[in-house]
Amino acid sequence: MGRYLTCPVKEALGDEAFEIYFSRGRMAILKSILEGKLSLSRELAEYVYQCSECGNCTEVCHMTQNDNIILNTSKWIDHVEVWDALRRDLVKAGYAPLEKHARLIELMNREDMKNPYGELKVKKYEWAKGFSNIKEKGELAIFAGCTMPLRQRETLKNMMKILEAAGKEIAYSNDEWCCGSIAMRIGDYKSVEEEVHHNIDLFKKMGAKIVFSPCAGCYRTLKKDYPEYIGEDLPFEVKHITELLIEMMNNKEIPFKTPNSKTIKVTYHDPCHLGRHMGLYEIPRDVITNIPGIELIEMKRNKNNAWCCGAGGGVKSQFPDLAVEISKERIHEAIESGAEILLTSCPFCVGNLTDAYNEMDSETKENIKVVDLIDFIASRL
Amino acid sequence: MSDIYQKLEKIVSKNYISNSEYIRHAYSRNVDPLLQGVPDIVIRPQDTQEISEIIRIASEEKIPIYPRGGGDCEFGGSKPIGNQGIVLDMKRMNNIINLDEDNLIATVEAGISWAKLNEFLSDYGLYTGCMGPGSGMTASIGGGISHHSVGGGGCAKYGACTNQLVSLEVVLPTGEIIETGSQANKFSKSPFNRFGNGPDLAGLFCGDNGIFGIKTKVSLQVFPRPPYAEYKTFVLNRKSAQVSAEIFSDIRHKGIDVYDAMYIMDLVVNIGCQQGLFPMWEDNLKRKKGIFFYTIEANTEEELEAKSKQLDEIILNKKRTEELGSEISDGNIAKWHYEEQGHWQFYHNLWGMFPALEPLTAECFTPINSYPEILTDIDMWDVEHNDEIQKITNITGQRPITGSGPILLIDGCNVELTCGFTSFSSYHNGEYHEIIDEVNIKLWKSLLERVTKHGVQWYMMGEIMSQIMVEIGAYPEDFYSFMKSMKKTLDPNLILSRGKYHFGGKK
Repeated sequence: MGRYLTCPVKEALGDEAFEIYFSRGRMAILKSILEGKLSLSRELAEYVYQCSECGNCTEVCHMTQNDNIILNTSKWIDHVEVWDALRRDLVKAGYAPLEKHARLIELMNREDMKNPYGELKVKKYEWAKGFSNIKEKGELAIFAGCTMPLRQRETLKNMMKILEAAGKEIAYSNDEWCCGSIAMRIGDYKSVEEEVHHNIDLFKKMGAKIVFSPCAGCYRTLKKDYPEYIGEDLPFEVKHITELLIEMMNNKEIPFKTPNSKTIKVTYHDPCHLGRHMGLYEIPRDVITNIPGIELIEMKRNKNNAWCCGAGGGVKSQFPDLAVEISKERIHEAIESGAEILLTSCPFCVGNLTDAYNEMDSETKENIKVVDLIDFIASRL
Repeated sequence: MSDIYQKLEKIVSKNYISNSEYIRHAYSRNVDPLLQGVPDIVIRPQDTQEISEIIRIASEEKIPIYPRGGGDCEFGGSKPIGNQGIVLDMKRMNNIINLDEDNLIATVEAGISWAKLNEFLSDYGLYTGCMGPGSGMTASIGGGISHHSVGGGGCAKYGACTNQLVSLEVVLPTGEIIETGSQANKFSKSPFNRFGNGPDLAGLFCGDNGIFGIKTKVSLQVFPRPPYAEYKTFVLNRKSAQVSAEIFSDIRHKGIDVYDAMYIMDLVVNIGCQQGLFPMWEDNLKRKKGIFFYTIEANTEEELEAKSKQLDEIILNKKRTEELGSEISDGNIAKWHYEEQGHWQFYHNLWGMFPALEPLTAECFTPINSYPEILTDIDMWDVEHNDEIQKITNITGQRPITGSGPILLIDGCNVELTCGFTSFSSYHNGEYHEIIDEVNIKLWKSLLERVTKHGVQWYMMGEIMSQIMVEIGAYPEDFYSFMKSMKKTLDPNLILSRGKYHFGGKK
C-alpha cells in the first residue's frame, strides 16, 4: 500500500517537486558530477539538504519485502550512504554547512554550551536534579542527548518515574556533550572529533557497561557512527530506551496500573533513526503490546516502509516548513488508522509531529494525540 | 533563450520552471544512464491548456520539446537528444479525473503512475488489466500508452496496455487539442469506446514514442479483479528455451485464458542463484535450469481448477519438467509476482546483479516460435564480440552479461523478449573510463541491429532504437516516407521529440 510514494520530500513539495528533489534526479546529478560535467556548489547544497535521509528510497527501490527474493542492488546501494557521501564532499569543498546548520555546529562546539540549542551547559543537566536513583558512576548509564533535556524535560522525568518504579539505578554525568549527530548528518565529521572522544572517555570513566539513550538520533550515532568514526568497537554496549523497557517488562519490573475497561487504540510511528537506519522495528512494538489495556493498530505504511516525519537530515533546522508539511501527512495517516494516540520513540519525531499537530484544525486535533512512548508508559503506572 | 524563458514562466509561474543546471542534469537521463541530453529548460505544467500554450511558443521559436512521464524509458526516450530544448515534466498532472463505475472506464491525467491508479482502483475491486510496464511503480500512464508497454503483469490476458485504451486527449505539436474515439463526437458525455467517428486516431499516438502529440488525458478500460487466482512455477530441466516456447504455444493453441506466463532463462536463474538473488531456489532447484510460471484467474473455484488442470497437463507432459511447491519459499515466484506485484520490482534489479551494472537493453515483441533462435543468435553475437567485451572486462575484472531476461507471453502468439547487453558503467572504482562508454554504445548498437534483423517489433524506441531503425534501413522506404510526411504534417517545425527517427534529415 502506497509503496509507490517513495520520498516524503517529493510528496510534500507536491507540484514543485522537480526530479532533483528525489532519488532519481539526485542519482543523475551524481553521475554527472562523477563524469566531471557538473561541479559542487552552494546551489547544489540547497537542493541536497532538502532530504531527511529517511532511507525510504532504498526500501522502495531495492527491497522486495520478501525474504525469498533478494534484489542484489539492496546489497550494494544504500541511498543514505550515498547522500551522506555527497554531503561530506559539499562540506569538504566549503559549500556546506548551510547557514542554520553552521550555527548549530557552532553552538555544539562552544565550550560553554556543547549543545546545538544554544543553551548553557548547566541548563542541560537540570532535569536530573532530585532523583536519588541517578548516580555519577555505574554500569548502566544514560546518554540523555540534548533535545530531551532542553526541550522535552518532562519526558526524561517520566522515564525516571518508570525506572524508579522498576527499582533501577542509572548513572548520568553532568559533563555529557552533544553526541554530534546533527553535524554528522549534514556531513561535517571533522567538527565532532572532540565530542566523540569526550563522550566515549566519559562513559569509560563512569564505569559504564551499557549506555542507553531515549533519543533515537543519539542511539544511532553512538551505536553506528561512533565505532565507525574511531575505527573500533566501543568499550560499552549501546541500547535504545525501548530495549531497556522490554527487558524490564519481561522481568515484570514495571508495575502497571490495572487498566479500566476501555481499551486504548494506539499506533506507532517508526523513527527513521531507529527503524530503517538501525532495524529496530519489533522491540518498540513489543513494548507497546506489553502495556495493559492497549491495542496497537498499524498505520498503512509501517516498519521499513514507514513514512518519515520529516525532521531528520537537518531538514527541521534548515527547512522547518518542509519538515512540518511532511509530518502533517503522517498525522493524517495515523488518524486514518483509527488510533487515538500516535506513539513514537524519538524526541525529534515527537517535536516535529507536535509542531505539525499544532498547525492543524481543532477537528483534526480531536482525533489524535502525539505522545512519546515513555510518557505514555509513565501515565499507565 | 531568456525571452523564451520569460514567456514560458508567464504560463506556469516561476515555481514550475527552471533553468538551473542541476535541475537540467536531473532530467538529462532515463533508466539507461549511458544516453544523456541536457535540456535548456525544465517545465512542469498543471493542465492541458498550459501545455498547449507552451507548445505554441516552442513551435513558434522552433525549440525542441520532450515530454517526460516517469522517465523510465531504457532507450533514451524522455530526455533531449543532444543538449537542447525543453523537457516537459508531466508528473504534476497525476490526478484521477473520473471512474465510470457503470461502464468500467477510468479517466486520468497522463502523468499519473500505474501504481497510483491501481491502488485507487483496488478500493473498488478493479485493476487496469495489463498493469503497465515493469517499472509501473513510477512509470506514467501516458508513457505506457506511448510505448505499448507490457511487463507489469496481466499481459498474457490483456495484452499491451494500449489494448485497453478508450480515448486520448492529445495536444498536437502546433498546440491544438483533440480528443479521440467516442470523444470525437462533441455530444458524447464521457469516453466509452475507442473505435468509430472516423479512423482510429488514438492508434496514431499509441506507441508513437512521443513524436506525434503530447498525451494529456487517458481513458482506459478497467476490469474487476476475479476472486480466484492460481499460480504455479516449474523448472524446465531440459532445453528450457525450446520447451518454454512449446508451452507458450500450446497455451495459445488450446485457448487457455492465462493472466500471466513467463519463462526465465537458465542464465538468469544460474547467476541469480550464485549471487543470492533467489534464496527460494537455492535449495529447491537441484539444477539451476530455466523457470516457467503461469498465473490464472477465475470467477469460480471450478473454473480455476479446470484451467489449472489443463495447464499442468501441458507443462508436466514435457520431459523432465517439475513443479515447485506452492509457497514463495518453495520457489513459487509466480505467487510473488501476483500477490506482491513482483512485476514492478523484478526487472530493473536484474540489471543490478553486480555493482555499477547498467542496462543496455533490447526489449521487443516477437512471435513465440522465433525466440529460441534469437536467444541462440544472441549467444553467438556474444562470442563474436568477445574481443570488444574483453576491453571492458580488462578494466572491471568482471565480464558484462549478454543474454535474455524474462520472456513474457503477451497478446496473440507473441512474447515480450527482454534481452540485451548488461554492462558496466564508465565510472569504475573511482575513475572515469571513457572507453567503457565508447565500447558500450558500439556493442549496444551492434546487438540491437542484430536482433532487429530477426524481424522483431520494437515498442520502446527512444533515441537509440528509433535512430537505428532508420540508419540500418529497417523501415521500408515507403513506410518511412509516410511516417515522415505524417510527422511534417503534424509537426511542421519538428519540435516534438526532435532527433527521434532522424526526421530532421541527418540520415
